[in-house]
Amino acid sequence: MTSETQINDYLSQLRAALKGMTVSEREDIVEEIHMHIRERVADPQCSLDAVFAGLGPAHELAQQYRTGVLVQRARTSISPVVILRAALRWATTGIEGFIVFVIAIIGYATGVIFLLLALMKPFFPANTGLWVGPNEFNFSIRMGATMTNPASPVHEVLGWWLIPVCLVLGSLSLALTTKLLQFLMGRFRWKVPFSAATHTRPAMMTL
Amino acid sequence: MAKQIVSSSELDTPDKWEAQMRKGCLEMAVLASLWRGRLYGLEILRVLERDSSLVLSEGTIYPILNRLRTEGLVQSEWVEADAGHPRKYYELTGTGRDRTTHMAETWTEFSTGLGYLIEPVLNKKKVEQPQ
Repeated sequence: MTSETQINDYLSQLRAALKGMTVSEREDIVEEIHMHIRERVADPQCSLDAVFAGLGPAHELAQQYRTGVLVQRARTSISPVVILRAALRWATTGIEGFIVFVIAIIGYATGVIFLLLALMKPFFPANTGLWVGPNEFNFSIRMGATMTNPASPVHEVLGWWLIPVCLVLGSLSLALTTKLLQFLMGRFRWKVPFSAATHTRPAMMTL
Repeated sequence: MAKQIVSSSELDTPDKWEAQMRKGCLEMAVLASLWRGRLYGLEILRVLERDSSLVLSEGTIYPILNRLRTEGLVQSEWVEADAGHPRKYYELTGTGRDRTTHMAETWTEFSTGLGYLIEPVLNKKKVEQPQ
């Protein structure tokens, strides 16, 4: 395999692994790496294998770019999808990221459940509410005979106030989870570039 | 066996600590390398190696530069070079210069404080290792 073919193969793999980025972003990155390889191999003391070793596998290099972009988007986006994707990526890097991902899931799920309860109340007014009893205090939808049994110690306390209460609590859960994760993404940002730092780089000539 | 494991662990810890410390300084070092003017990726690697002994893998610098660009700390421009192919040059933006200044001040303050703290440690080492 010729050097040119090897370079083109590497760049093709990189381009393919940069999916999710815009065409202009992707081509800009591929072109920069291409020029880097050309300049390095122009040095007779540097082999193409050494350059590839320094860059690392194409999919790992692409992952660093994609993670960096993902985290940057997550830090400024209010979309739970974008933030959850970044949290999921972080979760793949270790226990700290996994904890953050669990926080994200719990936070967003709580928000969604509150909003769903607010939406369900008009359709199931007798079954949706804040239920209070001897050992009970929870928001939920309840089906079955216990809700129609006047002797049951568990009863609903909010009535139609459930809708505004759940809307406020749901919105607050979503907003606070988003803010917390955006803050935490600032920490993740510091971890992003380092996954490929272990690739060795042969000593280069000084300027 | 147990002793060997403990010993091995003790040897690993300073390496990990040093690696984490270097990683923590990386962004400041990359931004500082651009303080005197624009550079392209390979030049930044060489400047870091020459001026700070920070040896980065080639696959590390470009994603960092891309992220710094999306954060508005640096801007990039393709320039036709004498080498026969274009190079992508990076330079600090106004925000990037402010950030670099802040980082440098924070770093100096932090390292000066720590310097006072570890001075007795280094003095003790000098006494233990007569010339």
